[in-house]
Amino acid sequence: MTLIGPLFLLGLLGIGLPIWLHRLETQVTERELFATTMFLEPAKKRIHVQKKLKYLLLMALRILFFVLLVLAFARPVLFAPPEAQITEDTTHHVIVVDTSFSMQSEGLFARATDRARNIINNLDDEDVASLYSASTNIATIAPTSDSPESLLLALDTLVPGNGKLDLGAMVTSLNTMIEESQANFVIHVISDFQQTGQAVRFADMIPDVINGRPVSLTIESITSDNTPNWLVDSVLVSNRDTIEVGIRGFAQDPSQRTITLAINENVQQEQEVSLSGESITFVTFENVSFEEGDNRINVSLSPNDALAGDDIRHTVFDNSPPAPVLLLTDNPESLGVTYITAALETAPRGYEVVLQTIEDFDVRVLQRYPWIVIEDIGAINASLASGISEYVSAGGAVLAASGESSLGLATVPVLGLDVGNISLNIEGSNPVTMIDNSHPALADASGWGTVNVRALPIDITNEDRVLVAQAASQPVLIERAIGRGRFMLLTTTLDNTLSDLPVRPVFVSFMAEAARYLSNENLLVKEQVAESFLQLSLAGGASGQVYDPDGESLLSLSATTQAQDIALNKTGYYQVFTLGGEVLVAVNPDRRESDLTIMDAQVLQNWQNVVAGTTSSVEQALNSQTEIATEDAEEREIWRIFLVLLAIIVLVESILGNQHLRVKTGIL
Amino acid sequence: MALTQSGSGGKNSGDARTRLLDPSVLGSLSNLELVAKMVVEGFVIGLHRSPKFGFSQEFVEYRQYADGDDPRYIDWNVFARSDRTVIKRFLGETNSHLMLLLDTSASMGYGSGGVSKLQYGKFLGASLAYLSSRQHDAIGAMLFDDDVIEYRPPTSKAGSMQGVIHTLDAAQASMGTDINKPTSRFREHIKKRGLVAVISDFYCDAEELLENIRPLAMNGQDVILFHLLDNDELSPDIKQSTLYEDMETGDAIEVEPAFMQKAYREKINKHIAGIKEAANGIRADHVLLNTSEPLDKALHNYLTFREKRG
Repeated sequence: MTLIGPLFLLGLLGIGLPIWLHRLETQVTERELFATTMFLEPAKKRIHVQKKLKYLLLMALRILFFVLLVLAFARPVLFAPPEAQITEDTTHHVIVVDTSFSMQSEGLFARATDRARNIINNLDDEDVASLYSASTNIATIAPTSDSPESLLLALDTLVPGNGKLDLGAMVTSLNTMIEESQANFVIHVISDFQQTGQAVRFADMIPDVINGRPVSLTIESITSDNTPNWLVDSVLVSNRDTIEVGIRGFAQDPSQRTITLAINENVQQEQEVSLSGESITFVTFENVSFEEGDNRINVSLSPNDALAGDDIRHTVFDNSPPAPVLLLTDNPESLGVTYITAALETAPRGYEVVLQTIEDFDVRVLQRYPWIVIEDIGAINASLASGISEYVSAGGAVLAASGESSLGLATVPVLGLDVGNISLNIEGSNPVTMIDNSHPALADASGWGTVNVRALPIDITNEDRVLVAQAASQPVLIERAIGRGRFMLLTTTLDNTLSDLPVRPVFVSFMAEAARYLSNENLLVKEQVAESFLQLSLAGGASGQVYDPDGESLLSLSATTQAQDIALNKTGYYQVFTLGGEVLVAVNPDRRESDLTIMDAQVLQNWQNVVAGTTSSVEQALNSQTEIATEDAEEREIWRIFLVLLAIIVLVESILGNQHLRVKTGIL
Repeated sequence: MALTQSGSGGKNSGDARTRLLDPSVLGSLSNLELVAKMVVEGFVIGLHRSPKFGFSQEFVEYRQYADGDDPRYIDWNVFARSDRTVIKRFLGETNSHLMLLLDTSASMGYGSGGVSKLQYGKFLGASLAYLSSRQHDAIGAMLFDDDVIEYRPPTSKAGSMQGVIHTLDAAQASMGTDINKPTSRFREHIKKRGLVAVISDFYCDAEELLENIRPLAMNGQDVILFHLLDNDELSPDIKQSTLYEDMETGDAIEVEPAFMQKAYREKINKHIAGIKEAANGIRADHVLLNTSEPLDKALHNYLTFREKRG
């Protein structure tokens, strides 16, 4: 330890002050019995300097106060030795334990931890080791240490998770996580080495040369045979009363199982099924009844196999009635109406299209609908335009197309955009060249590239956001926020005359996404794989509260007001409460983890051999030595600790001093 | 007649007697009767044989036995010869009574040495009782603080001395001092002339004491005031300021050494003088006793007092 400001030690002379003060006495406090005080006269008050020190504990506190204050100013610095002395002769064992879902298979994880324990117990005196868990994410369980006890303690905290291990991702993460040092690295990967965990590119599984030091890989395979396994692979609801379940097998022989269907935790049906060993067996449950809103569908197999976690699948089915959508048109028989109606009614959410002709439409009805579709913006009159403006300002949403009537417009109703002359030359292609796929309505933008449109030339303003455009900045789809609402305008028709959008596959998904966006529904995917992240912002609000499958709230009160990404580490149903309402999210393990087929032994051997070739150059090693030497001793300033102690002592001194004061008051 | 103390015993014998009467030695004895016996015997050994004090046990005359006389003193030889019941009378026998009034207030519990004032008072009272018992006097005792704690009327019956000593032995120091109540009580019950020994530190007003003692004297009682004070009360010697707590009231006062050295001594001496003057005013004897000194001074004064009253 050393001091940054040793001159402050002169302040220790101040210790004399409490010592002198504690010899002063204005009042004798120790009583002595006397037969009578009738002849006594009280002495005049004066300060005595006693030989004997009074209130030793209080004085000790005050002296300690001075000492700590002086030391805090002197700023002592501790030189902490590095946690482990690492030299060129040191071997750094990087122990990586697979904690992916497949390790839940009977007895597998116990074997893995036994293997890790064995490695730790056999460390040489000069060796160090660090411990990592590997699943979807790689986590440091124990930092580099030469203490087997601390490593074993950390190992005991490991449990298998629900994620998926990708060996390529694992090696990439290790490259960034392993501390640089002069040691020779030995990476021990303890895993069941599923075939599905193998990286797509073999090169991804080769670690970088760690600080120029030799690296070797030890394959610690804990299983040598392919364990048979079946999983509930898929659950599909059709016609709101039928469920089709797919059971996938990874086994040589078929198996007889009971499949149980439970809706909202009530068992509805059971079927005895002979499951195929190597393919998918489909089982249909008919006449299934659902409750309105989100339903929890649990399909489970019994008896369980070695990997029981995938014998049940959690699914959420939204059984809400179709939402009404108003479609305004000047021609109910037009092709555009047909295309729009078909797209909306086949959307996953299901919409009920309410068709109204513009000339018969009563504007007051608008408020009944969260959003509306206008087939041809050019067909609406001024009063309807005014009504629509008010509707949008109040929070409504509109998706409008530019039909035949729009071709002769000077300005676009509601938006007031100037319209140029449209070229009716249909020769040549007019593809879409720009798609803003950050917009929720365009999340699935893959099909837009094939769309040909002839768009109405409009002069957009700063208020307009271009979502889809052609070359020469010709907008195809724009959005404007008006008041609390949104207005989306397609500058082309939806009747397949000036645009082939309605006949392209992207049209249906676009209408579904636009409908969900404009109706303010949440955009959450209701089925997620374990150890992925849930964006609360997609659930209809940037903040909210989330309850995990065990009913535990995951966010603190303060965190509920902040945008959050929630890690979905457990399987089951997460309840998400946001401003957009309540949403259920079903979480299941990654299906690939259920395939317990192990990697080819030759591939593993090759991997080991290739890694063993990644040795360092001497120059790199020497360079690293100088860097590490400066990091041998870490400086730690401890004056803050003294400040904390000072605060405690001041508190105790006040309490103790007060007590002594009370005694004196009692005498007088 | 002047009282002559032993000088023939030589220095050693005198030291031994003094040692026997030393309060610190007596304090180590748990039996108060034994203490009294040791004190009196030790005291008597030191005296010249004197016919005045009746300790020689020399026969003077026979007297007809009367009710109330101690049958132990019946001369059975005379009874055998003449069939008369007579009792022997000895020289010095007074056939009077002694009433001991012992103050048991809290201040009597004070003692800077090994013996408190109350303990000293007990020794003194027991010794007087023993002495009087030898002279066939009726003995009674009263314990008081600010009230009468226990009252034992004077009697010369067998065991009266043991009874008095037992009463004295049970005394505990507590409460304050009020001389009025014991003297009033005493006046109510005692009509016969006798001796009254008041053993106290007399932390009371001299005038008040005078007013309370005066009726006793007027009633024919001979009063002797044994004024007990500790050496530290008479000559306090403190080196630094001290916070004294009153044993009776609990009040605390911080005093300085200079005050105790001078002003306090003047005050306590003035108080003693006041008590003495009050005693003289009613022809009572006042004996100031330092509890660190042997008891012989007290006994000597007592005998002188008895001698004076004839």
